[in-house]
Amino acid sequence: MSDALLSVRDLRKRFGEHEVVTGVDLDVVQGEVVVIIGPSGSGKSTFIRCLNSLEAPSGGTVVIDGTTVSAGDAKALDRLRKDVGMVFQDYTLFPHMSVMANMTLAPVKLGRMKRAEAEETALKLLDRVGLRHKADAYPSELSGGQQQRVAIVRALAMKPRLMLFDEPTSALDPETVGDVLNVMKELAREGMTMIVVTHEMGFAREVADRVVFFDAGKVVEAAPPTELFNTPKEARTQQFLANVLH
Amino acid sequence: MDFDVNYLIEQWPALLDGVLMTLQVSLLAIGFSLLIGVVGGAIRLFRLPLLSQIVVLYVELIRNTPILVQLFFIFYGLPAVGLGLSLYWSGVLCLSLWAGAYQIENIRGGLATVERGMLEASRALSLRPTQYFCLIALPIAVRTSLPASLNTAISLLKNSSYLQAIGLAELTFVAVDRIATDFRAIEMFSAICVIYLSLVAVLALLTGRLSAYLQRPFQHQ
Ligand SMILES: Nc1ncnc2c1ncn2[C@@H]1O[C@H](COP(=O)(O)OP(=O)(O)OP(=O)(O)O)[C@@H](O)[C@H]1O
Ligand SMILES: [Mg+2]
Repeated sequence: MSDALLSVRDLRKRFGEHEVVTGVDLDVVQGEVVVIIGPSGSGKSTFIRCLNSLEAPSGGTVVIDGTTVSAGDAKALDRLRKDVGMVFQDYTLFPHMSVMANMTLAPVKLGRMKRAEAEETALKLLDRVGLRHKADAYPSELSGGQQQRVAIVRALAMKPRLMLFDEPTSALDPETVGDVLNVMKELAREGMTMIVVTHEMGFAREVADRVVFFDAGKVVEAAPPTELFNTPKEARTQQFLANVLH
Repeated sequence: MDFDVNYLIEQWPALLDGVLMTLQVSLLAIGFSLLIGVVGGAIRLFRLPLLSQIVVLYVELIRNTPILVQLFFIFYGLPAVGLGLSLYWSGVLCLSLWAGAYQIENIRGGLATVERGMLEASRALSLRPTQYFCLIALPIAVRTSLPASLNTAISLLKNSSYLQAIGLAELTFVAVDRIATDFRAIEMFSAICVIYLSLVAVLALLTGRLSAYLQRPFQHQ
């Protein structure tokens, strides 16, 4: 597994007495799209939040692009976070800044780009998601789906090598879900490495290279979508799919 | 009743000096107290060990003791341990520390309304905690805490009249000083009431404008 972009070994996270992520192993290669599904409270969010150190793991290792990050080594995780973009359920744009300011803030403040370069990059990215004309708008002037598309390109402006999505369409009106999923599909087609927690089974079927079923803080089963959806091996996977697909 | 307007016209230059002193000391202290509020608010937000406890202690101390005692402590107490300040700076320090405690609470209240998602988004973008505070949290928090902060500023202006107790030549001191020689209490106190009312009105007007500007909806142009 030396060519894995992300390699997770025995990852654990506990909150007090309660272990929420209970030993996860996962390898993701460059360009792969992994979709994580599982019941509510199974630790999906906690798991992907550990991958960019929004939560500090209580045990195990995360290796991104050959750099090992041991549990508790916050400094190293911070450095790696720069390679990992994340999009949340509640499109967290900064409300007091225009779309353009949202997108250029981090690249400029972290010294990654000059302002002019950052603005040019931002406009190109906005073009890709059909929102170039909204560059001067404020988040409150955009629909939920538009805000979420901006949140995606804001993360892309940092040129991440890995993108994490935590239920990016769950808070959206049904009619805007499609626009956001299309942006993600496009991103996958362009070869971005992605880990996506979602309830959108259609997206998983169409885009995922691998679907991971999560339960009780563990990977129960991982397989390509056709295999996992059509012939799940584990009883718990079968049960879960029977519930969500009907 | 005999109300001598000519007396007031005569005394106007002295009153004006008092007004200028009151304004100077108050504006400086408003600035310092906001600074204390922002720094103290940040310390509380990030729960910095030790410093956080010191801030809590400071706020409680100020809010639960009379301002006059605080003033005497600074002006008569501190010189005893070699930290004597001039009359002027004792006054500024007293008002700054007094209002600073309230500004910490005001700004903390505003910071508490900033959604947790803002911090997470900042961290996911690798912004540092200080960048999060200055660029994201504070600008959002100011909108909510502004009315309370302005009230504190107005209270500070009114409380500057306590400084007459240490002999700083601000407006109240000038009035009391004149009454001691001229015995024109009704004229003097009427005059400074009107002056304080006007100062507060001007401050309220300015800050009303400022808050309308700062609280305009998040929209372009
Ligand atoms: N900061 C925290 N402190 C304590 N417990 C937490 C914390 N964050 C999550 N948990 C708990 O960890 C468990 C897993 O939560 P998590 O959000 O990872 O689940 P999830 O699979 O993402 O669920 P959902 O599908 O509802 O989003 C839950 O029982 C939750 O209450
Ligand atoms: Mg979740």
